[in-house]
Amino acid sequence: MDNNYFIKTESLCASYKEDDGRSVEVLKNINIGIKKGEYVAVLGHNGSGKSTFAKLLNMILTPDSGRIFIDGTDITREDMTEKEIYDIRRKIGMVFQNPDNQLVATIVEEDVAFGPENLGIPSDEIRRRVDEALATVGMTEYAGHEPHRLSGGQKQRVAIAGIIAMMPECMVFDESTAMLDPVGRKEVMDTIDMLNRERGITVINITHHMNEAVRADRVIVLNDGKVYMDGTPEEIFNEPYKLELAGLEVPQCTALIQELRRKGVALDGECTTPEKCAALLIKALGGRNNG
Amino acid sequence: MKNISLGQFYPGSSIIHRLDPRMKLILALVYIVCSFLARNVISFGVLLLSSFVLIILSNIPMSLILRSVRPILFILAFTVIINIFWTSGETLLFEWKFIHIYLEGVMNAVFMVVRIFVLIVGTSLLLTYTTTPIALTDAIEQLFAPLKKIKVPVHEFAMMMTIALRFIPTLIDETDKIMSAQKARGADFTNGSLVKRAKALIPILIPLFVSAFRRADELATAMECRCYHGGEGRTRMNILHYSVKDFIWLFLVVAFAAGLVVINNIGIGYTM
Amino acid sequence: MAEIKLENISYVYSEGTPFEISALEDINLTIKSGIVMGIIGHTGSGKSTLVQMLNGLVKPASGRVLLDGKDIWENPKEIGKVRFKVGLVMQYPEYQLFEETVRADIAFGPKNMGLDDEEIEERVLEAADFVGLERDFLEKSPFDLSGGQKRRVAIAGIIAMRPEVLVLDEPAAGLDPSGRETIMRSIMNYKKRTGATIVIVSHSMEDMAKYCDELAVLSDGKLLMTGDKKDVFKRSDELVSVGLDIPQITTMMKLLADGGVNVNTAVYTVDDALAEIYKLL
Repeated sequence: MDNNYFIKTESLCASYKEDDGRSVEVLKNINIGIKKGEYVAVLGHNGSGKSTFAKLLNMILTPDSGRIFIDGTDITREDMTEKEIYDIRRKIGMVFQNPDNQLVATIVEEDVAFGPENLGIPSDEIRRRVDEALATVGMTEYAGHEPHRLSGGQKQRVAIAGIIAMMPECMVFDESTAMLDPVGRKEVMDTIDMLNRERGITVINITHHMNEAVRADRVIVLNDGKVYMDGTPEEIFNEPYKLELAGLEVPQCTALIQELRRKGVALDGECTTPEKCAALLIKALGGRNNG
Repeated sequence: MKNISLGQFYPGSSIIHRLDPRMKLILALVYIVCSFLARNVISFGVLLLSSFVLIILSNIPMSLILRSVRPILFILAFTVIINIFWTSGETLLFEWKFIHIYLEGVMNAVFMVVRIFVLIVGTSLLLTYTTTPIALTDAIEQLFAPLKKIKVPVHEFAMMMTIALRFIPTLIDETDKIMSAQKARGADFTNGSLVKRAKALIPILIPLFVSAFRRADELATAMECRCYHGGEGRTRMNILHYSVKDFIWLFLVVAFAAGLVVINNIGIGYTM
Repeated sequence: MAEIKLENISYVYSEGTPFEISALEDINLTIKSGIVMGIIGHTGSGKSTLVQMLNGLVKPASGRVLLDGKDIWENPKEIGKVRFKVGLVMQYPEYQLFEETVRADIAFGPKNMGLDDEEIEERVLEAADFVGLERDFLEKSPFDLSGGQKRRVAIAGIIAMRPEVLVLDEPAAGLDPSGRETIMRSIMNYKKRTGATIVIVSHSMEDMAKYCDELAVLSDGKLLMTGDKKDVFKRSDELVSVGLDIPQITTMMKLLADGGVNVNTAVYTVDDALAEIYKLL
């Protein structure tokens, strides 16, 4: 095993039971290694197994077979102690889709304190961490507010603060922006970027928004329970037809550039954002005009 | 519906607001006992006076307090009628056919009204108006913590209360949404017989229950992810601390109770 | 065929009413018969309130809502009938499903209309077809379906009332690209086959650009602009300044224009952008 990986799965298989007792295979032989500090987007249509993958990482679910190593520890061992399980859950924080269904307390700062309180951390240390976590997500002025009066984006930032206060090494976002409006989505995505770039927290963002995947260093596409594609956003978006087969689509700008390339227009370089596309086109068109 | 206020908390920083919530819980209990200690005109008078003192100290507008009494007006009226018409005594005030009204009945009615008023004002002032629901939950958890030794699930109970408080506004919102959605499909909640109207609730209640269970399930997962494992080994960010003024208040209220007992023995007027 | 006209609509925020009701100020808007009208606005701009006025769930404080020239509040007792003519699919409509079978759930609306069993059955089958639900789904419990399928059942529940105006609040929210595509196609299918007027509220500018004929932009309770989508996207600077997105491709075309390339920036689909760029090559 390569010790460089913070998260490593070996031949990971998982399934869930339907109400009628039928067992459905959702993950088939997954081998993924994620390094410390990496920013990974996991793409896949609904039912591709991406949420199951997330819940396996912090032992909310257990795999049928295969192994998962977190920071060198095999968490699929039979003899994992409770203390070890809580340590894994502290290291790998998780933020879910529905902002309403993950806030426990009736006051923002009390909610942020929930995790550290469970860890048995002394009061003054919790206070320090809560203040810092709220400052990190820019929610300090809402410390005394009631969660149900906040916007969706603000609720998600509180949920993120609740995880940060546990001092995780990795954070998994399980479609955390799916229910938000564009403003809320931007708030949350900017927060996620900052956690990775400035705090060095390993980020796994599970999403089906291509514009979010572009922000990551690496994109893993899951389809039908298998790793379907794995590469940089540029590499992944270079294969729009393959993505379409997996029920996904490339951003408009990327589609435009690829169509032009298909028609034989020479456009070299990245085309994942409007800025990069415009730069490519200006270069190409400018060249033509001069020639 | 975002502005629904739970537990009627009225923000402020009065003397009563600043008391330790545990002490407020104890004081409320003692004050309830007080309202049952009063026996004669003077003690009831003092009791009524004390509740006005509390109102003034709490800085809560009188109109708000009267509003909280409104829902129990019916009970008050009922109490008055029962006492006036069904108490027999020695001093007959009024007589018509089978109706006999005695002085004792009138006095009893007045006493009962004062008692109920004081009960409502005392508990709502000391608890719901001046204490946030979360502080109250904390108070219950920390005050009754010793009961854990005899296997009373104090922490679990407090946790349940917190979650209920957290989700009541969410579920009220949701009820509104589901109602609108079913109205858009032609559901009618206002017309028809009682049975028809009760049946019309099914399209609201089922989605509401389904949603509540889904929320509960997701919340449980989120809590597990945040290392929740019951009250064992759990610390708190905010630890409650009694201060001197809390004990001064305790002394005053207990002294007040004792005072009431003494006053009861002054034989003036009618005694209950 | 139905036209909706809003005349001087105002709504004042009042506490204790359902939802986050936002104020609306003097809205005048005509939704022409048979078009696809898109309503854009950020959260709290009043678009949800506006949408609920179209079928009389929310009553305007002042102003009139005219359905084919007739004030829908002329006789408040008849407002129920308006709701059958103007079908409203709320946000996350899958949470309103309650019946034991998909069939019964889709039939709820038609049943409330007082139709006979035969007619109801016909409409259920028709609605299921529109949203692409196969027959064997009809006997299943709606709670056993996937998120996208539930959404389709919920939309079928409104379509089964055969509304002349179909209003949808964020019909594709939270779905993956293929789920989104399926939903939008169902809606367009309904429009094509029945000629119904469609009103869609969405945050996805790409979807709006793709499916709508006209757009209305709300900001802080006021109607900022309305008209043909071309004319609206032409004013993309204004859209951005009130905190709205514009289609990604429009952003890029503007960047090109800013970079000195002579292109038309009122472009919002990949195909139109390609055409523009071919002109330059």
